[in-house]
Amino acid sequence: MNGKELTFGQSIPASSAFYRVRHFLSTPVNWVFLGVAGILAFLSLYPTTFLIYGSFTDSPLGVPGQFTFQNYVRAYSDPSAYPLVLNSFIFGIGSAGLSVVLASALAWITIRTNAPFRRLFELTAIVPNILPPILISISWVMLLNPNNGLINVILVKLLGLEKGPFNIYSIPGLIFVEGLILTPLAFLIISAALKGMDPSLEESAKTLGSSEFGVARRITFPLMRPAILAAGTLNFVRAIESFDTPAIIALPARIEVFTTKIWREALGSFPTNHNLAAAYGIGILLIALLFVFLYRRFTSQVESFSTVTGKGFRPHQIDLGPWKYLASTSALILLTMMVLLPIMVLMLMSFLPYYHVPTWETWQNVTVKHFKTVFENERVYKAFGNSLFLALGGATVCMLLAALTSYLTVRTKIAGRGILEGLVFIPWAFPGTALALGLLWAYVNFPIPIYATIWIIMLAYVTRFIPYGLRAVSSTIIQIHKELEEASVVCGAGFFATFRRVLIPLMRPGVIAGWIILVTIFMREFSASIFLYSPGSEPLGPLIYFFYLDGWYGPMAALGLIISLICVILIAIAQRFSRWESS
Amino acid sequence: MLRKTYLFAAFFALALLSAVSANSQDAKMIEAAKKEGKAVIYGSLESGTFDTIVKAYRKKTGLDVDYWRASATKVMDRALSEYRAGKPLFDIILTNDNPMQIMFKEGIFAKYESPTSKDYPKDAIDPNLGARYRNVIIGVVYNKSVIKPADAPKSLEDLLKPQYRGKLVMPDPTQHTTTTQWVASLWKVMGQEKADKFIRDLAATKPILVESLLPAAKRVTTGETPIAITYVKYAYVYGKEGAPLDYVRLGKMMGDGHYLTLSNKAPHASAGKAFIDYFLGDESMKLLAQEGEFVNLKGVYPPLPDADKIQFVEMVDLDKKGFAAKKKEYQAIFLK
Repeated sequence: MNGKELTFGQSIPASSAFYRVRHFLSTPVNWVFLGVAGILAFLSLYPTTFLIYGSFTDSPLGVPGQFTFQNYVRAYSDPSAYPLVLNSFIFGIGSAGLSVVLASALAWITIRTNAPFRRLFELTAIVPNILPPILISISWVMLLNPNNGLINVILVKLLGLEKGPFNIYSIPGLIFVEGLILTPLAFLIISAALKGMDPSLEESAKTLGSSEFGVARRITFPLMRPAILAAGTLNFVRAIESFDTPAIIALPARIEVFTTKIWREALGSFPTNHNLAAAYGIGILLIALLFVFLYRRFTSQVESFSTVTGKGFRPHQIDLGPWKYLASTSALILLTMMVLLPIMVLMLMSFLPYYHVPTWETWQNVTVKHFKTVFENERVYKAFGNSLFLALGGATVCMLLAALTSYLTVRTKIAGRGILEGLVFIPWAFPGTALALGLLWAYVNFPIPIYATIWIIMLAYVTRFIPYGLRAVSSTIIQIHKELEEASVVCGAGFFATFRRVLIPLMRPGVIAGWIILVTIFMREFSASIFLYSPGSEPLGPLIYFFYLDGWYGPMAALGLIISLICVILIAIAQRFSRWESS
Repeated sequence: MLRKTYLFAAFFALALLSAVSANSQDAKMIEAAKKEGKAVIYGSLESGTFDTIVKAYRKKTGLDVDYWRASATKVMDRALSEYRAGKPLFDIILTNDNPMQIMFKEGIFAKYESPTSKDYPKDAIDPNLGARYRNVIIGVVYNKSVIKPADAPKSLEDLLKPQYRGKLVMPDPTQHTTTTQWVASLWKVMGQEKADKFIRDLAATKPILVESLLPAAKRVTTGETPIAITYVKYAYVYGKEGAPLDYVRLGKMMGDGHYLTLSNKAPHASAGKAFIDYFLGDESMKLLAQEGEFVNLKGVYPPLPDADKIQFVEMVDLDKKGFAAKKKEYQAIFLK
């Protein structure tokens, strides 16, 4: 039988538009396509439309108003807006650049060299992805603040300095912390590309007499360039939209970036101005769209490079000789900064009655009271229940939509399947803050009462993180040979039966790995939740922030450690189902 | 003699009747509250302190509440946003005087005269908001392990000394409404001319600006910043956890009243009233005082040294326009 005839959703030439529509609707998979397209369009376009609406209206949230340009005039005619844009770019480029340099070094050491303990380093590099970013920022404030930052205090004592050499409350400090937070994401992208790289080119260069350094410079780096650029652009967007680190470091240091400006001018001060916030939100969205477009271009190049591979051999491993110990030491130093130091500070905060620079007497006062407070606090249980519901429900909905979208875009030839890719592309670019503002405007007067309920947070999670799910499932679906589906169709199974009996079981490792990764992200989500939650639907991310604002540093650190432990367990399970590169 | 006995009997019967009536009113209220479910409260009273009250309330009445805590600015913003959108989820707002007055003008409150508010001094009763159950007092708190008490500042002006440049932490007066009010009210303790100069000189020392009064105090607790403009009660609150804190005895200290008022669209009105009745009562006020609060109960002080010697000066109230104008003015001074 001809394979072409067996393809689901294939477009068939027709003489009339009516016939084409009738034929289109007669195939079940096309109905699925319409349903998925409808849901994705609603999820991404509806809040976008309302974000634009909010930015062009003059009345508060939920009140009908008049059309105006005033919000844009106020937001972008302010002379202080230009240093702000410059600061944001310096912050974005600096932290993305730092994350890429650190991630590249770490990926190269763990994947391409024979450095001792490299497997352990590879696993540890992902851990900061689990810690809520806000806790990493707070930890670094405790380590590097100019007055009593632990590292500064130690250096002052050891070197007899007059004052600590580091000041976290500066643009370099901001870049350093955000760079560390973003490194795991860059590591995932770069290490996946390194693993998938065809080693034959490097081997040919070596055969022709090139040194290891020459191979790295002439072959490895040019081949890795698209992945490095992809990681850099994605992290630039993540930095520009992040509020966690700027809230802890930039606000007290009076460094203005985009998100602090939104907070200071529009949302954090009185009277609140959601219209002005929406006008700023559109600005971030446009910048993010531009960079995510670039990211997509670089990623497609990465994919085209990776298609060169597919052979069953391991990438070329470089023997560093005695230098391998130096490589391991470098990786260890990096991981100490990324993982060990922040966790150590969190442990200090959670086991001391009140946080202070530890002295010998400190160890006599160690207490578990903060853990007790966490376990006895009803608000924690409620937030934990909310986050669990959001994580399990949101990840399931997300993966279901991602699996269907992935199937429709990768395996069918339905005309217009590119629209689905475009619709998923919008959430990639949607910064959490802007999406939350769009959702507030969109659902405040929505006929179904989801405003100020847990469902609006669920919508935000699903909308924003579908691309993560899609990435996990797409890499699996590409590897499934078409013959299996064709055999199912030959045996008389329809679309749904084939999807359920053949594709879902084969996609299961990718789907489960993606699902668990989404659960870990949803368990600590902050950027969108902080704007959307209401008192009854508070998840763990905002609760940690409010513990911080409430001065409950001890319970905050204890809760952060508990969430991280749960996420580590989940990730260990995920690793059993799938290798990390698939996500 | 017999007449006196009759009179006494009549008085006793009346007192008994009113007590029975009040109790049955309480019982009815509690019964109605139980049917409605938990009262929802948005407030700026610290969660730890509030938890103490809620535990006692739960024990006494079997009722419970949902509490959402944020700074006064955020409480007002959330309440007004929900109210304007026609979806108010809260029954009670519990925060500072000035934001409460603004919310009152926006028409979000119901008039509820709690029977327990009768025990408060007359000057502590606001005709619109009810009983001012406590005063929040802003002063200067410092870390004794960094600044020796002998070297600590003695007045607000001492904060301008070079040793405190970049070392003082305070809430951002362009963002935090209570601090905007505090800066705008300085003329009440130092006169207009001195106050204007002090504000500019204070800004010139480049204080570290944080979101609200609590994070300011917390930084002093950890020793990250040695000194803060914050609520003086934190010297006691964090002091009892072991933090080496003390406060500057300024004599006159400014602050604001605190109120809790029922929403006129309260989804759980009876539950809200039942909580207000308990909260304003003696038992709750004594618990609050033990937690370090300056309650409006005669002769009851927090266990903070020299608390009874503090001369409380009420800050000026600002309306929405006043806040916007001051915010702009302070932006030019503090954020330049």
